[in-house]
Amino acid sequence: MNAVGTAAVAAQVVLVTAGAPLLTGLMRQVRARMEGRAGAGIGQPWRDFRKLLRKEPITPVGTGPAFRTAPLLLVATAAVIAALVPLASTATPVSRNADLIVVVALLALGTVALALAGLDTGTAFGGMGASREMTVIALVEPTILLAVFALSIPAGTTNLPAIIAGRIHDPARLASPAGLLAAVALAVVTLAETGRLPVDNPSTHLELTMIHEAMILEYAGPDLALVELGAQMRLTVLLGLLASLFAPWGIATSASVAAVVLAFVLFAVKVALLGAALAAAEVFWAKLRLFRVPELLAGSFLLALLAVTASYFLTGE
Amino acid sequence: MSESAYTQLLDLAAGLFLLAAVFVLWRRELTAIVRIFALQGVALFAIAALLGVHEERWDLLAVAAGIGALRAGVLPHLMRRALAASGETRETQPLVNVAASLLTAAALTLLAYAVSRPLVELDPSPATRALPVGLAVVLIGFFTLVTRRRALSQVVGFLLLDNGITAVAFLAASGVPLIVELGVSFDVLLAVLVLQILTTRMRAAFGRTDIDDLRELRD
Amino acid sequence: MSAAGPAVVVAAGLAGVGALAGVFLPERWQPRLAPRRLRASVVGVCTAGLGAAGLVAGAAALGGARWSADLPGLLPLAGVHLAVDALSGLFMAVAGAVVLAVAVYGIGYAGHGTDARGVQAVLPVFALSLVLVPAAASVSSFLLLWELMAVTSLVLVLAEHRERASVREAGVWYAVMTHLGLVLLLAGLMLFAARAGGETFTVLRAGAGGMSPQARGTVFVLVSAAFASKAGMVPLHAWLPRAHPEAPSHVSALMSAAMVNLGAYGIVRVGFDLLGGGPRWWWLMVLGGGAVSAVYGILQAAMASDLKRLLAYSTSENLGLVFIGVGAAGMFADAGNQKLAALALTAALLHVVNHAAFKALLFCAAGSVLRATGLRDLDQLGGLRAKMPATAGLFTVGALGAVALPPGNGFVSEWLLLQSLIHGFAVPGVTTAIVLPLAVAAIALSAGLAAAVFVKALGVGFFARPRSDQAAAATESPPSMLAGMGLLAAGCAALALVPGVLGDGLSRAAAAAGVTGGTILSGGSLEVRLDRISTVLSPLWVAAALVAGVLAVSALTRLVSRRRRRTNARLWDCGGGAPTARMAYTATSFAEPLQRVFDDVLAPEQDVDVTPVRESAYLVERVRFQRRVPDRIEHRLYRPVLAALSGAGQAARRLAGGSVHLYLGYGFFGLVALLVALTVIQ
Repeated sequence: MNAVGTAAVAAQVVLVTAGAPLLTGLMRQVRARMEGRAGAGIGQPWRDFRKLLRKEPITPVGTGPAFRTAPLLLVATAAVIAALVPLASTATPVSRNADLIVVVALLALGTVALALAGLDTGTAFGGMGASREMTVIALVEPTILLAVFALSIPAGTTNLPAIIAGRIHDPARLASPAGLLAAVALAVVTLAETGRLPVDNPSTHLELTMIHEAMILEYAGPDLALVELGAQMRLTVLLGLLASLFAPWGIATSASVAAVVLAFVLFAVKVALLGAALAAAEVFWAKLRLFRVPELLAGSFLLALLAVTASYFLTGE
Repeated sequence: MSESAYTQLLDLAAGLFLLAAVFVLWRRELTAIVRIFALQGVALFAIAALLGVHEERWDLLAVAAGIGALRAGVLPHLMRRALAASGETRETQPLVNVAASLLTAAALTLLAYAVSRPLVELDPSPATRALPVGLAVVLIGFFTLVTRRRALSQVVGFLLLDNGITAVAFLAASGVPLIVELGVSFDVLLAVLVLQILTTRMRAAFGRTDIDDLRELRD
Repeated sequence: MSAAGPAVVVAAGLAGVGALAGVFLPERWQPRLAPRRLRASVVGVCTAGLGAAGLVAGAAALGGARWSADLPGLLPLAGVHLAVDALSGLFMAVAGAVVLAVAVYGIGYAGHGTDARGVQAVLPVFALSLVLVPAAASVSSFLLLWELMAVTSLVLVLAEHRERASVREAGVWYAVMTHLGLVLLLAGLMLFAARAGGETFTVLRAGAGGMSPQARGTVFVLVSAAFASKAGMVPLHAWLPRAHPEAPSHVSALMSAAMVNLGAYGIVRVGFDLLGGGPRWWWLMVLGGGAVSAVYGILQAAMASDLKRLLAYSTSENLGLVFIGVGAAGMFADAGNQKLAALALTAALLHVVNHAAFKALLFCAAGSVLRATGLRDLDQLGGLRAKMPATAGLFTVGALGAVALPPGNGFVSEWLLLQSLIHGFAVPGVTTAIVLPLAVAAIALSAGLAAAVFVKALGVGFFARPRSDQAAAATESPPSMLAGMGLLAAGCAALALVPGVLGDGLSRAAAAAGVTGGTILSGGSLEVRLDRISTVLSPLWVAAALVAGVLAVSALTRLVSRRRRRTNARLWDCGGGAPTARMAYTATSFAEPLQRVFDDVLAPEQDVDVTPVRESAYLVERVRFQRRVPDRIEHRLYRPVLAALSGAGQAARRLAGGSVHLYLGYGFFGLVALLVALTVIQ
């Protein structure tokens, strides 16, 4: 059991790291095709990554250790989350430590590291990006924690494998109003945390509209490669979390190799589908003005709050 | 000393005590007021001494002697010196005229008798029966303090207040602990000295010691 | 024979020695020798010893020892009663540890009035009162020690009054509010003692059951208002953001990390232990106050550009979180679920410990900055990580704890608090169903805003380039200050990585408060074991995983990338010339989006003053722009009260006619009226 579990965890991390650029490539390709363009192909993000790695590492004058360690921390947190979240199996050696609140906090840690790096540059862009990003993160926290609350009520714990195992064995929880409301809330959270439309445009460089891009404007070469990889891994991990929570079929609850392999295949399929759906939706969405984003986040907070209270009133405790 | 003699002497002393207070309200010349105050000091000494002799307590007699020395000797002497230095002789028109003051004194005495009735009933003895006198002197002294214009008259009123309190203490409880009496006496001495300084300063600033002149200090 | 008793005696002795040293020793040695600050060093060493003794006593009590002492002769009429149990031991240990580190720091923190005789003499006494207040076991000894703490801290707050006028104003606010709190406390405890028939805590505990619910409710309301004011709860918090910036930094650290905890101690002691728990509305009040303080405090911190004011408001926020835990514990206990109540109370107590560690560290680092640059304003700081690397690193450790993210220590207690609230759904009732999600939302919002606040403080204050000459001229602090901060950082790290060592002690502390639930935490990790399933947090594992991840990523990158050596490059300037330090984001600009989002709550004031040229009104000579984010609760609540009092005072002046006869007459007529009334009533 230990060997299979350890292998599953390692495979999760490797798959997320290797598959994140592919997922981004897929999403860009879907979007391009829907917009009538040929697209650059699914492998383009990997090609960009290789190109950036080969460039010379650059340190802008006046930056410090925070600037240099932020990309490392970003990728490291995403990797730890990839190890913790039961994407393929709920019976791993780290299952005991896989707490949903820890996962949420690690995501925030990555964001904070990047914001500090943005401030460390001392340019107006960096500060602007950091300031906007921290505003969005601050407003997204209540939604996240209430969604965690809503998900943990039926399971009686915040331990992720326990929650997911519970949802596998009791499919009624998936279709309950609380579950659906939590799903929508978490979807909005995913958009906010990963900086996708309508909260932030990942391909803009206009100062009126940048949030994430402004923080990383000074990065170049291998640092930029790591930052991009980190952002892609976060997206993959969050979509994986959504898939595990709301479509948990196929996740291995025992230690058999076959179940784990099947789970990986299904995970890849689910995440690819989610990513494609997101990319397709993005074609029709416009980015919200910065000061309309709190309204969106307030709406998601309300959904999460309703999820919690619905869970109470319906289980009738 | 026989019981009846003791009672009569005590009542005489108490009556003298009260009468002295009333006379302070009546007379206008400041020298006369000081003399009457000295007389009241003697009456107070008599009350305390009678109590001491009746209960055969030497400490009470010693305290009585001390009080007598202070209130019949030292304080009137200090006040005469202040008076000589200031050169004034008469109290100007008091806030409440003499007739009304005497009527008020009568009313205050009645009030004192009414208020101390329960105290007297607690332990009826010749000493406690004279208690209302002490309280009456307290109220009359306070009234003097409020209604006189000259600083010296106010000092006398304050000292009447203190005499009355001391008398009540002796009549009700055979005196207060020595240390309290010492403390109070020092306080009183200090108050008189301070008031003497105040009077000198007022005279230097205004040419007279009319308390109403202090109103000019308010803005 | 436990160590608690002797340790307390040693602490008291050292306080006396320190105070005498502060009064009698000269400031420096003879100038022939190296100029050492004699008075400050001796007092600092004594205070550090005092802190260590307090820590030992508290640790012994947390380990299960109990100690009590009765000194009837010390205080006339009532005597002094001291008793140390696990709950007081926890607070004593926290206070002792903070005093130890801050005293070492204070040896190096020089000048501007903190070296004065009065201040140095009072510091050990303040430290002693911080250590002894939790040990008080009767109403009079508690009030005596409380007032001693208030008076000595007031003297310390006013230490630099010759330098700035704002210090005096801060001192007045602090003095008034702390004494209003004392009046409320006095009223509540006196009522309690009168109804219970005695004043020692044992008698109060026994007599509380016989009191009527109205009496108990009144006592709790009065007492909790006083303790809430001391803990900086909204709306009685106005002294906190005024007194902390103006006090010397080590005093601010002591106040924020040790003194405000005693507000939480008081509510736990009186509410849970002495009164034996109460109806739900008490705890709803505490929880509601805590939630509002948490959100409002951190919001005001987000708007503050004065570093110490920011940290002061952050204290208000963290104590709000503690109060949420205490309120939740009370509600669960009232509903009968002792295990959950113990969990919530343990979470609150753990947060007290964690907050003390990181807040003291943050204030000490702020003091370091203040000493090096003379500035508290974040807008003018910047670039300090190059000039003061050790201080910047230590501030980062403190900030990591304050943002409540792993691997910091704030995350551990916040996780536990969230666990207790999430599991609170097991308690039936509509109230819990509504209150618990709102409490979780408040905690989450405050955590998010805290992340923004400390990114601002760290990023704007320490990173990038200096924005003023003073910041450019900064130098690192002397070793004693670094040593003090190092001790606190070590404490933060220990609490972050192995919090489970406190597990037994915290359970004993909760049990001493009357909430028995068994051991919740154990081992190096935190394991929450309730009826059904347990949840586990292993901070050591998370930290190790992160470190491993960072190392792995950096190694892999180095392996794969071709060129190894880093070159310097210019920052992107859009082709418009090199960016100056003035172009960087300041604290005010960083907080601007948040201020816009919370515009209705904050109500910023803006003033534009246009001075035209004398000859023509169309030509502008000068424009002056001023924007402030005032403390809205102060505006709405305090100003009307102060205006009413001022009006009443002015009206009362008419009573003072200036005539001495009038004044004497007031007294005389009062006395006569009283006597007449007496006769008539009889």
